[in-house]
Amino acid sequence: MRKLWAVLKREYRETVRKPSFLIMTVLAPFLFGALMLVPALLATRGMGERKVAVLDGTGRLRTAVESLAGGAPGERSAFARGRGASAPTGRIVAEYVDLFTVDPKNAVGPYLERLSLERTPKERRLDGVLLVPADAFERPLTHLTYFSRSAADLLAEEQLGRAVNRALQRERLAARGLPPSELELILAPLPVETVQVTKSGQERRGGEGSFVLAMLFLALLFVPSLVYGQEVMRGVIQEKTDRVVELLVSSMTPMELLSGKILGMAAIGLTQMAVWVTMGGSLAVAGLSEARSAGFDLSTVLRPSIAVWFVVFFLLSYLVTVGVYAAGGAIAGSEKEAQQVLTPVMFVFLVPWFLMMPILTNPDSTLSVVLSLVPIYTPMTMFIRLLVSEPPAWQVALSLVLSVATIAGLMKASAKIFRAGLLATGKRPTIPEIWRWLKEA
Amino acid sequence: MTRVLSLHDVVKHYGAVKAVDGVSFEVSAGRITGLLGRNGAGKTTTLRMITGVLHPDRGRVALFGAEVEAARDRLGYLPEERGLYRKMRVLDHLLFLAEIKGRSPAAMRPAAERWLARFELLEKRNAKVEELSKGNQQKVQLAGALLFDPDLVVLDEPGSGLDPVNVVLVRRLLRELAAEGKAILLSTHQMGEAEKLCDEIVLVHAGKVVRSGPLAEVKASGGRDAVHLEFAGDGAFLTEHPAVASARVDTNRAELRLAPGGDAQEVLAAAAARLRVLRFEVVAPSLEEVFLEAVGETAPPEVAA
Repeated sequence: MRKLWAVLKREYRETVRKPSFLIMTVLAPFLFGALMLVPALLATRGMGERKVAVLDGTGRLRTAVESLAGGAPGERSAFARGRGASAPTGRIVAEYVDLFTVDPKNAVGPYLERLSLERTPKERRLDGVLLVPADAFERPLTHLTYFSRSAADLLAEEQLGRAVNRALQRERLAARGLPPSELELILAPLPVETVQVTKSGQERRGGEGSFVLAMLFLALLFVPSLVYGQEVMRGVIQEKTDRVVELLVSSMTPMELLSGKILGMAAIGLTQMAVWVTMGGSLAVAGLSEARSAGFDLSTVLRPSIAVWFVVFFLLSYLVTVGVYAAGGAIAGSEKEAQQVLTPVMFVFLVPWFLMMPILTNPDSTLSVVLSLVPIYTPMTMFIRLLVSEPPAWQVALSLVLSVATIAGLMKASAKIFRAGLLATGKRPTIPEIWRWLKEA
Repeated sequence: MTRVLSLHDVVKHYGAVKAVDGVSFEVSAGRITGLLGRNGAGKTTTLRMITGVLHPDRGRVALFGAEVEAARDRLGYLPEERGLYRKMRVLDHLLFLAEIKGRSPAAMRPAAERWLARFELLEKRNAKVEELSKGNQQKVQLAGALLFDPDLVVLDEPGSGLDPVNVVLVRRLLRELAAEGKAILLSTHQMGEAEKLCDEIVLVHAGKVVRSGPLAEVKASGGRDAVHLEFAGDGAFLTEHPAVASARVDTNRAELRLAPGGDAQEVLAAAAARLRVLRFEVVAPSLEEVFLEAVGETAPPEVAA
């Protein structure tokens, strides 16, 4: 125990003393934040104001288009709710052109000219041109045409299209003699609210909130494990190239050495997390209340039991990943070689990440249940299921038992490979050799 | 004389290669035992089984009458492939090495400082290992093997990489430790060095023990049939003398082995007739000669340093 402690302490102290650790710990939240915020900011900024000309062949859409230009709050917020709060909406400034009297086909030219970046001064320049054909009210099969410099100007296209379509519907209904008050009633859209019915009869609201949280939690489940796993691997290889291993192996069991290293790295990880939580705590609180005011009540998803499950599955995921990385480091002769060996292994580990959508949308399907019982996939899959659904208790218990047993086995195997591999510097061992190591000792 | 370590019929394979093939010997307290042999004779593998780094395929290694694992904290080890954490500070490293031997680092601090002072490294105690010269790193490693006061010290080629001054320092140090009652086991391929240092000798060749016992006995096993000669003149003819079995003749000195029944006096007479003899001595053969004879090779080896 004292030896394990010695290894743990050395690992911790030597890492924490490194300037790179300090920099990483202090700067990572800022970097991460910047990584998340900057694209979002740029996207909203990029959307900015869009100048669009609506060429109306019918001559009857002036009010609809001008109300859009004026901000049309009802329309906008419905749109925003449908996309999630973070989707940048931008502002559309529409210029209404009545083309009822002329043939639209001939009148379009000058407006399209104004899309050009080179030939049009900035203040006259347009970002899009929407053409409403003259027969829009009569023929059901005609279409609106949106001209734009960018083929992917989807948001503006959809927003405009929706507004014009609503105006068209309104006009068509009004043409059939419906009074304006009834029109409002007929056309009022109803938002969908997701309610999860649990077995205890409780109702939980979440919907999109759960989805975003699941992504976040999953990333938190495996990203640190991968990062610290690599760190452990690097340390093991360092010990081989520095030739300290022989002293270590002659003084303690491989299990003591391995667990000392893994726990040491865990302590480093926890330190880092603690710093980040303290730094980000206030931000998170602000973020939560922001989210609530935006219409998500995350507290129904962020139940205390989820925090407990998160810690449990974080540990499981961490131990599996780091154990595998440590053994990989013991087998490989250099860091480069270790990366080659472990990259395919990591892809196998990340299967739940790629299958997240089916698991999330159908947490009790056969796929989800089977994956959540496969030990290396348990942490991620079972955690998603617990987050968005209520898996049967026996499944949760079974997955935990299987995971713990697997980790025990993995650690034992890792320790053996560790011992044999540590001394075999030089060429990479073959699979039969590794098998022999597992059987030996 | 307390027996500290015993190996009984120990075998270790590397795949199809038998690196150690039925080795048995003992190491006692207060004695310096030398494990001698050429490169690849199985010395390092044997030491690694004693330190618990490798497990024997067969046979038994007993440390202080127990299994290796149970007694590993009483053993100090200087591996052949020296190595320390390059980024660690010297004193921290020493305390870590004591801690993995189950000692409290706080209690070991005075001892660590004492050893650093003895090796004239005290002012470097806060330097990183990588900032030290190679020789100084070796001394730190040696201090690490000794500071926790082990009862058995195992050193794999302790002289390699040290300059002559430090070789003498280490030799004196090991003598002192033996006098304090510690058991010392070292491996070396330098027979001359072993002859100066060891009380007990274990000669290994191709994984097998070919001779073992107290130095004097091992040397005596070769008989008193060596003649050392110093002279002026051309001594090449000595190789052909009927009483000489083999000879190594240099410019003005020669080491001869007498043929069975060969008379040293006849050689002296023959030499005196053609050379100016400056020294003539009948001695026990050197350890190197004993070794070569035991191994059954007559070719002159590389001259031991």
